[in-house]
Amino acid sequence: MPTRPSGALSGRRVLELADEKGAYCGKLLADLGADVIKLEPPGGDPSRRTPPTIQAGSGREESLSFLYLNTSKRGVTLDLQRSEGRELFEKLASSADLVIEALAPGTLESLGLGYESLRQANARLVLTSISGFGQTGPHRAFRSSDLVASALGGSMAVTGDETDPPVRLAGSQAHVAAATVAAASSLIALLSSSVRGEGQHVDISVQEVVASVSHICGVGKWLDDGIVPKRQGTGLFASVPSGAYPCRDGSIYLMVNRPLHWKALAQWVHEATGNQEILDPMFEGPSSNRLPYREFLDLFISDLMSRLSVEEAYRDGQSRHIAVTPVHSAAAVAADPHLESRGFFEEVDHPMVGRLTYPGAPYRHSKTPWRIYRCAPSLGQHNREIFCDELGLSEAAVQELQAGGVI
Amino acid sequence: MPGGDGSSGEPAQALAGLRVVEFSAAMAGPWIGRFLAWCGAEVIRVESRSRPDVVRLYVPPWNPDLGIQPRLSPWFTDWNAGKHFVTLDLRQPLAVDLAKRLVARSDIVIENYSAGVMGKLGLGYEELQQVNPGLVMLSSSGFGDTGPCRRYVTWGPNIEALSGMSRLSGFPSRECTLTQYAYPDAISALHGLVAVLAALDYRHRGGGGQYINLSQYEATVAGFGHVMMEYLALKQEPEKMGNRSRRAAPHGCYPCRGEDRWCAISVATDSEWESFCSVLGRPEWRGEPRFASLAARLEHAEVLDAEIATRTLMRTDYELMTALQEAGIAAGVVQTAEDLARHDAHLAARGFFEQIEHMAKGVVTATGIPLGLSGTPGCSGRAGAGEGQDNDSVFGSLLGMTPEEVERAVAAGAIEPADEP
Repeated sequence: MPTRPSGALSGRRVLELADEKGAYCGKLLADLGADVIKLEPPGGDPSRRTPPTIQAGSGREESLSFLYLNTSKRGVTLDLQRSEGRELFEKLASSADLVIEALAPGTLESLGLGYESLRQANARLVLTSISGFGQTGPHRAFRSSDLVASALGGSMAVTGDETDPPVRLAGSQAHVAAATVAAASSLIALLSSSVRGEGQHVDISVQEVVASVSHICGVGKWLDDGIVPKRQGTGLFASVPSGAYPCRDGSIYLMVNRPLHWKALAQWVHEATGNQEILDPMFEGPSSNRLPYREFLDLFISDLMSRLSVEEAYRDGQSRHIAVTPVHSAAAVAADPHLESRGFFEEVDHPMVGRLTYPGAPYRHSKTPWRIYRCAPSLGQHNREIFCDELGLSEAAVQELQAGGVI
Repeated sequence: MPGGDGSSGEPAQALAGLRVVEFSAAMAGPWIGRFLAWCGAEVIRVESRSRPDVVRLYVPPWNPDLGIQPRLSPWFTDWNAGKHFVTLDLRQPLAVDLAKRLVARSDIVIENYSAGVMGKLGLGYEELQQVNPGLVMLSSSGFGDTGPCRRYVTWGPNIEALSGMSRLSGFPSRECTLTQYAYPDAISALHGLVAVLAALDYRHRGGGGQYINLSQYEATVAGFGHVMMEYLALKQEPEKMGNRSRRAAPHGCYPCRGEDRWCAISVATDSEWESFCSVLGRPEWRGEPRFASLAARLEHAEVLDAEIATRTLMRTDYELMTALQEAGIAAGVVQTAEDLARHDAHLAARGFFEQIEHMAKGVVTATGIPLGLSGTPGCSGRAGAGEGQDNDSVFGSLLGMTPEEVERAVAAGAIEPADEP
């Protein structure tokens, strides 16, 4: 990765033994410049087959989510059920800064590769484990999934419409949030390890991460007002008005959180629809003043929005400093001129599927720009590079491992 | 439990020794500092009475007659736990100068004012890096600090709609589906935390400071980029999956006995399906061709879900979860906030919730910080406090101002008076 400015994490080496729960963690670190080596069983990570897929020539298909979640990584295959595979893993871990794993709790220990054994060879190593419920506690062996973690973590109870069943967010957000927390916590442990010379075991529970990211509706609010938060459609419980309102050609989302914004909205409704009642000073001030009149005020606002196109509502509302945004489809996000002007989307070449457009940087570092260093690795793509060139195994030894099904 | 300033002399907390200055409001900015403070960083929050944090405008719903209660918001006190509070009227040159002196003695600045505001105040990165070349500064805003919409006003739920998340989530019968917890505030704060820590790691290894800009819109899209890929590569809107999965069936949320009680269930393999039929008391489903394989169960998902619901309605949620888990099937009660705090023995055993000291309420329960740092456990410290609560210690001890200097700055209105404790 020479010639271009280095990434913030250039020089850090990470081993990723993760499934879909943890792949985003490795991607976050890899796109920041860390050398992330994805370890897969010889048959490949099952997420390589996650639909939808795209044709990759000669009848092969590549999973689009796999392509996205594994950018900038190198890939090797390794069978941890075999002693030769475990030896290679130990060798790699002895020179790594961080190992990310998402196996069932206790699996690494049972293979003799738990934190206590790995630290013997590398005291500075950080081991980050991502699991449904964490490494300790009565539910540590419970089976999990993105859906189950969303349920037990408390986010589903407060998502969607009150007349529907509870529902989760698109794109396995319980796993994405857990992977993001895992990346942050790994970096904290690495900083601490740099100072103290001692790594640690980071224990990420997806359930706890869900409880944390949904805590606006959590125990603090409930103990404060005595109301157990439930699903409530599109309007937020504490902000009046707030919600999705239909326009002529789609919907916008509107939210009022400051007294000043209410005045601006009331004025807009008045000017555009002739409504006088909305200017009544009894509606001014904090949201709590408007809470008893929520549905009533929604009628006035709906009257305004139904006269406008999404584009008109968006531009007019924002010119009045009111938080109005379109309810975008994926196509609208892809075509958003704002994202276009910031160059958000990235083009990445893939040897089998050609050039694809990817969502880009979640943050922009001035000195060490985020970037996609390479497309997701094919299965075992870097076996030779890593086992021969870097670990010093002979060509013959690698061929033997391959023939024996170890790699 | 809490590491604090261990008596061993060695700091037990991972980020002890780091100092952070925060110019922030609501959640997307403050939540980053919350995590850093939990790990032992010293976080100084600068507030201005001329532009109060929206969360300070809290009116307790249990007694609206109390009016605005800046120190009672359960969100404010949580998002700002463990921080130090100073008040500066940043419209005054002397206040800006004091803010710069704080930044000069710090490692990190986090701000989420509207894009461009810090620059107008004379506190943009250009100015701040002159007083502190090693500074790591993060600016977070809805749209980022460039582009035609950079000055637009947004809150978390706006970003949920804008990013496509609310259209892509939920049941196909709904145009859009939103969380009650402003998910983009959380997920963009977590991305901001990663960005700051990566920059610190770079600095620690000799690379120097830098500026980071974060658009909450972009961070949220990045978090479901794998769903966006379907549109970007195939030019088709991703199907709304609701609670369904393409790789598991049954996969959903099923009603249980009682009002609004539900259990989420994921059955991934055929052998799990066989066990599932037993737990539900429907062994005859095993022989049903309609349900015999994943492909068949996916094809008949509608009828399958309806059949399952008739069985789950006869069970209580926790009993059903336990029975399914004992059979090796992923299942979980749809827990409310009350369930999490009162009925989840697992979270209790892990000590997930924290009891934290609150200046007005005594002790309050806080949702845990899920960093899982087993070697350097963190702690929340004092719940978010009153405006200017730490003016004396920060301006006196940290900046070394004499009491007379502080008084003059107060008299000039640059330092705003603290809340009565």
